[in-house]
Amino acid sequence: MKRIILLSTITAVSLIAGGYKLPQQSLNSMALGAAYIAHTTDADTAYYNPANMSYLDPEIHYFETGVTLAHLPKNKYTGIQLLQNGTVTIPSAVASGESEVENIPIPYLHYVAPAMGKWRYGLSVVAPAGLTKRWEAAVQKLFAEEFALKNVVLNPAFSYRVSDEFSVGGGLRLIYSKGKVYSDGSLAGIPFKREMEGNTIEFGYNLALAWRPTDDISVGITYRSKVDLDQEGQANLYLAGIGRQFDATVSIPIPAALNIAISKTWDDVLTLEFVYERTFWSAYKTLDFEYGSPIQPALVSAFDDPKPKDWEDSNTYRFGLTYEYSDRLTLMAGYAYDETPVPAKTLNYEQPDSDSHIFSAGFKYKHSESLSWGAAVLYSKKDSRKLGAGENINGIVGEFTDGGAILGTVGMSYRF
Amino acid sequence: MKYLLGSALFLALFFIVGCGDLGKPDNPKVDGGEVVVNFSPELMKQSLIKGGVADANTTVFGYIAYKIPYTTINEEGEEVIVSGLMVVPTGMPEVVTKQIGFSLVSDDHGTIFANDEAPGVIGEKTNAPSGSAIILTALAGFVTLQPDYIGFGDSKDHYHPYLLKKSLASATVDFINEAREFAGKNDIKLNGQLFLTGYSEGGYAALATLQKIEDEYLAEIPVTLAAPMAGPYAMTGMAMKTLSRPTLTVPSFMANVGYSYVEAYDKELRSVFNEPYASRLDRLLGGDYNRTEVDKELTTQTTGVDGLFNPLFVNSFFTEADNWFLQSLMQNDIYRWKAITPIRLIHCIGDDIVPFAMSKLTEGNMTEVGSTSVETIPVEVAITQNPATPLRYGHGECGKYAYAVAAKIFGDIRKTAFGY
Repeated sequence: MKRIILLSTITAVSLIAGGYKLPQQSLNSMALGAAYIAHTTDADTAYYNPANMSYLDPEIHYFETGVTLAHLPKNKYTGIQLLQNGTVTIPSAVASGESEVENIPIPYLHYVAPAMGKWRYGLSVVAPAGLTKRWEAAVQKLFAEEFALKNVVLNPAFSYRVSDEFSVGGGLRLIYSKGKVYSDGSLAGIPFKREMEGNTIEFGYNLALAWRPTDDISVGITYRSKVDLDQEGQANLYLAGIGRQFDATVSIPIPAALNIAISKTWDDVLTLEFVYERTFWSAYKTLDFEYGSPIQPALVSAFDDPKPKDWEDSNTYRFGLTYEYSDRLTLMAGYAYDETPVPAKTLNYEQPDSDSHIFSAGFKYKHSESLSWGAAVLYSKKDSRKLGAGENINGIVGEFTDGGAILGTVGMSYRF
Repeated sequence: MKYLLGSALFLALFFIVGCGDLGKPDNPKVDGGEVVVNFSPELMKQSLIKGGVADANTTVFGYIAYKIPYTTINEEGEEVIVSGLMVVPTGMPEVVTKQIGFSLVSDDHGTIFANDEAPGVIGEKTNAPSGSAIILTALAGFVTLQPDYIGFGDSKDHYHPYLLKKSLASATVDFINEAREFAGKNDIKLNGQLFLTGYSEGGYAALATLQKIEDEYLAEIPVTLAAPMAGPYAMTGMAMKTLSRPTLTVPSFMANVGYSYVEAYDKELRSVFNEPYASRLDRLLGGDYNRTEVDKELTTQTTGVDGLFNPLFVNSFFTEADNWFLQSLMQNDIYRWKAITPIRLIHCIGDDIVPFAMSKLTEGNMTEVGSTSVETIPVEVAITQNPATPLRYGHGECGKYAYAVAAKIFGDIRKTAFGY
């Protein structure tokens, strides 16, 4: 059993983008809605496009840190719940409910070292994926009293300047992940309860490419590999209030993601960037808990049988605008449209996801030649999601509304 | 590079080392055991309705089961830590739980081979009600006591003394005593009424238990009535009949008898069993295999060069009066002794493994030696209330009906004594 845990403040938890990604991991990226791949200008380059490190001032250390406060409002469900293959119907008055509000601090840190010839190195500590969903309502609690996946990534990166116009980069991703799955059917009259906690350390990689065909146009392509988070831990499974403990494992993927971006700068003042992001969520096929020994027979169907997910690859379209208002003040804004990877068939209370529109804005103030600071906000508006009769294998017939997210980031960068 | 290292060191401050293990399940605490099942009356009723055992009008009690460790004595006279399951009804009127108290039924389980089939192990692993305690506790409102026996549960590593009366009776008597102590410590009120029952091997164990109680604990453990069911009380006759047949219907049963008697009487397995079976029995009867799996690795041919039993052993058994197996079986016969406690020998007329005649033989012999109240109850007749019924149940099928008959007999006596 791995015995590493993290300071509680570094747990990255969100439901910002489709699935359980949180791509905004710096002040600039938050302000630009993560339309920040081709034209990166600060220490966060190490994370967003390490190939671009080649184009930062070669003599300078770049350092950046900050914290994002994520506010996740309630998800509201209105509808009925079918159980036991549709033979039991829990009426709307009982089945409707609201998830808990989440307020989570998420710190980040980036660093780029001075160039060493054509090579350059950087490092990021970020929390780019995770989710927390908690329900106290009777029916939802049966499925997801608490479903949390918290990840922290240590991402050393490099770049190699091939020419003045072309650079490549990449990195190694060391991921610490901690998962928690609690469910409790007692309020719904179902005598099942699960408590599972696990963690893991996994590795992945990322690749990057930067091309600057002209002084005012930048092209960036990045790829992050898929990583299976094979959580190992224990599960307490209860039948009618009496529990047994089992060794338990469950695997949840962080999917591979491809970003293709282009930016254009006018008069060294105004930059517009477009990012197309393809996330390969189809890797998430089932949620399959496995145990070290046979569990209570009455609980096999609920807690042992694999649960189909069948998520779908998703597209995100991001637009970011950067305006150098003065020598000291930079203004930024962004918009993104983010498709959900969660099909209606397998949607569940742990992740009642939907397509979203993301709006963001922020500023950066140059306090001195070395020190800059700034702030950004992001609002993710989730579409409502309606499931008709027979559409969902989890017996959900109703509508999810509200949800979304409001994020605020304060950050500072230092160059020396 | 030194800056890079410095930064990495800074980052390391974000990490701490500690333990994040999930705590143990938060189960209710009791003194002297552990709660392994806790079904409320409503949940129990839902389960029984779903299983077709009850309907909306059936009175169903809750089911709380405790796995209790205790100490008993094996065939060799040594102490062994064993376990048993005590099942208590919940949701009964307060006049019963606080004033009158519960009646006890000591219920010895039938032949099992896999450890997972022992009552305490089932309760511990499934956290769900099972078996005869559903009838005796959830439907009839008795506190049911089910010893796992030596060889199962907490004593899995010990051989199981199959159909050996001394240790089966000890395991049962010691569990009755332990359960009464447990009840006292955990505010479970008992009324002093005690019934003994059990099916198949359990029927044998129940009658052996009554004999031990009457011999050694008559004043301390008064038994209201014993209702052994379908037990092989006449071991000698049973073995003679089985070994005289060319084939064995269920070879694991007789193999288990031979194995446990070899262990208890310190004999050589190869003197009793042919190879390759002799070499397999430690593994097959170690608690990891069920009866079907055991039978698959044995032969149905009783004896001979390719048979299960060594022909020299079988020949000696039938021809030499001082044969150790014959003598041992006679020591474990329990069909002929004088009992003062009322006994109802419940048995299916259609039993294909332990013949109904076994109970009739026992009734006749015990009555002949002075027992005043021994009576055989044919299950099919008790159920139909028709002495001429053509209904017949085999040994496996009979169990649930036999328990229903026993529960009815116990319930009538309890009602006469306590009004519920």
